[in-house]
Amino acid sequence: MSTWHNMAAVARRELRVWRNRPIYLLGSVVTIALCAIFYLTFLRAGVPSDVPIGIVDNDNSTLSRNFIQQLDATQLGKTIEYASFAEAREDMQKGRITSVCVLPEGMYADVQAQRQPEFTFYVNTLYFLGGSLAYKDILQMINLTSGAVQRSVLRMKGVNEHAIAGRLRPVDLDIHMIGNPTMNYGSYLANMMLPGVLEMIIIIIIIYSFGTELKYGTSRHLLRTAGDRMPDAMGGKLALYTLLFLGIGYSLVFLLYRQMGFRFEGVVARMLTDMTLLVISSECVGVFIIGCIPVLRFALSIGALLSVMAFSLTGFTLPVEAMPPYIQGIAEIFPLRHYYQFYVQEGIFGAGFAGWYKEVIHMLIYLFLPLLVMRRLEKAYIYQNYPKK
Amino acid sequence: MKDNYIKSWLRDFWGIFGHELRTIFSDGGFLIIFFFAGLAYPILYNLIYKNGVLEDTPVAVVDNSGCAASRRFIREVDATREVSIAYRCVNMEEAKDLMQKRKVNGIIMFPSDFGEKIERMETAKISIYADMSSFLYYKNLLMGTEFVMLHEINSIQIERYNASGMTDQQSYQMVKAIPYEENIPYNRTFSYSIFLISAILMLIIQQVMFYGMSLLTGTSREENRSLATLPEDFSGHGMGRVVLGRGLAYWLLFMTISLYIAIIIPAWFGLPQRGSFQDIIVLLVIFLTDCVFFCQAWSSLITRRETVFVLLLFVSPILLFLTGFSWPTCAFPKFWKWFSYLFPSTFGCQAFINLNTAGGDLETIRFQLMAMTVQGMVYYALANIAVLVENWVISHREAIKGKRREVKGKIEERIEDRIEKRTGKRISISSILNKPIDSDI
Repeated sequence: MSTWHNMAAVARRELRVWRNRPIYLLGSVVTIALCAIFYLTFLRAGVPSDVPIGIVDNDNSTLSRNFIQQLDATQLGKTIEYASFAEAREDMQKGRITSVCVLPEGMYADVQAQRQPEFTFYVNTLYFLGGSLAYKDILQMINLTSGAVQRSVLRMKGVNEHAIAGRLRPVDLDIHMIGNPTMNYGSYLANMMLPGVLEMIIIIIIIYSFGTELKYGTSRHLLRTAGDRMPDAMGGKLALYTLLFLGIGYSLVFLLYRQMGFRFEGVVARMLTDMTLLVISSECVGVFIIGCIPVLRFALSIGALLSVMAFSLTGFTLPVEAMPPYIQGIAEIFPLRHYYQFYVQEGIFGAGFAGWYKEVIHMLIYLFLPLLVMRRLEKAYIYQNYPKK
Repeated sequence: MKDNYIKSWLRDFWGIFGHELRTIFSDGGFLIIFFFAGLAYPILYNLIYKNGVLEDTPVAVVDNSGCAASRRFIREVDATREVSIAYRCVNMEEAKDLMQKRKVNGIIMFPSDFGEKIERMETAKISIYADMSSFLYYKNLLMGTEFVMLHEINSIQIERYNASGMTDQQSYQMVKAIPYEENIPYNRTFSYSIFLISAILMLIIQQVMFYGMSLLTGTSREENRSLATLPEDFSGHGMGRVVLGRGLAYWLLFMTISLYIAIIIPAWFGLPQRGSFQDIIVLLVIFLTDCVFFCQAWSSLITRRETVFVLLLFVSPILLFLTGFSWPTCAFPKFWKWFSYLFPSTFGCQAFINLNTAGGDLETIRFQLMAMTVQGMVYYALANIAVLVENWVISHREAIKGKRREVKGKIEERIEDRIEKRTGKRISISSILNKPIDSDI
């Protein structure tokens, strides 16, 4: 029988397995669908709004009330007033509010008399995003209030509006956010979390698929179906899984950059290349793990532990260069890391082939992994000499 | 009579407890998860996030004005903790190229009229371009330049007011009309390690227990035992002793690892430990009890050993988001907010953050403790029901099988009838459906 025949026979056999055991499709298609629903609805707002900011107003003047109203009116902030600092501090410690602003007693009078009343604020940065945003919001508002005081003094001195602008703000920043102009957390996280989940699913399902043959002792049957040729058995199985995962991967690309319309600088079609490479390299990692440890339960545990690490080591939150050097090396073993670097080149800079060809080479290297363990896995398939439990 | 009941209760309880411990320690897969995930993950995550903050983000400068003010600005930005000037470029093209090659993660550009505008007392603009591939690059670039800008603004303003005839003191009072003092008490440097690790530690406990327990439940089901496995000399009926007996085995085992995770690890890696020791023990006791019942209730749905990894591994990162450690709880969509109440980790992580990292006391985490208590009671009831159902199914196994076969037969017959009506041929459906995968072995 020719290789093609063998592979087709293995693929047909695998299809029958899928039909008998729904876990394969549940674990891939349904799982990724649930994740897509979660990440795309949970972070739908893009940037949180109405982050609670505690206010302790010891002044109760027009100035302090105006400040509170202005802060409340920003898209980011929502003010909650407290009678005493102790209460507000407790609520901040409980994580109910992100920050506390203390408006000192006699603030208005002091401002009028140029006595420089000191404004104090506290931020809880343990709830990171809320804290950082509140920090930014309060800082901006206090600078604006300070500016308003100066403006009224300058107006009284008869300075014209144009000159006032120059005096209040001699230097201004003009910020451009390359690749994500609206600072959308939804796209920032979903862009990497979803392919990350896909990588995890691929590694796990591949280990499971190759490992169950050992666990249930069907490996010899598999080999016989493939005409006693291990490469055909592997090829047939992987071909079918590649089709399945490519289908999922391409749908993800479509979903993220067409349906959700997340910002993408380059050509979206090129992400299909990236996705293809991610699918294939993750499959190779899966085969490598089960080949090294041909015991389903151990291989699955190892695969699970490894693939969870990938999210952190990709470096899309804390960049890899901020990690210790020995961790930086480990980061390179995850296909997701290379997927991410490819995405940065194409999606953020639109750099094209010259930008990402190195990542392609990196991901192609994974293709050697199955070859390294094929012989070992074949022996395990024939002799079934590893513990099944 | 009563004495006997208590005696038999205790004997069963003890028997189940011992049996569960033996099962746990004779399972290699469980031990890998337990030791690797429970002991090594906290260390690994601490190593990954050891530095916590990104420092000296490399930035390219394009200075088209070349004036004294822009040069001073560049020097000051370079001196900040956040940013370091890695390249000085002649034009934007060069800087863009460096950014694309990832030699720099941001660009600061001074337009040619920068110096002129400052001299003319107008508003001079600085353009900054941030690489958004990681938001931390943006945060660093923004914080670095903004601090310098505010500082510069003040000194320029004072110069200008001085020029218009004010004294130093007067112009200082003008510029700093409302001076402010910022306090960032729990995480001064916006460190990644402090906020992330605090949330992750409690989650690790829950997830290790859940995956481990599901693994064992699945195994026992595969071996035709049940999760409510009873010792041979089992002489009573209660389900409570099964749930509590099994629970105690996990509880004790995970108490050791929880002490390691919640107390030794933070001390080892210099994370803040502001909560008192007793308070943390109280939190761990309640959290673990809740987790034990939670895991028993949910793991009763697992029928095969491997299912939990194939189907439920993706849950861990989702649970991390649901603790509200990053995306604030106030911005959760309604549905996900309610959904997050299903998991002990939501409250456990928040309580640990507030107690240990923010230095609260039991009063601070009262809401979370109460929520976990209620949750624990609900899951205790569910775990009991699971055992009850399991026992019922076992004792009625044959009857259920018969019933199922009967219903299946009826359905198949109907379909076969229909096919016969349409095509005139009678095909046996059961022979197609039940064809085993390895029929020809």
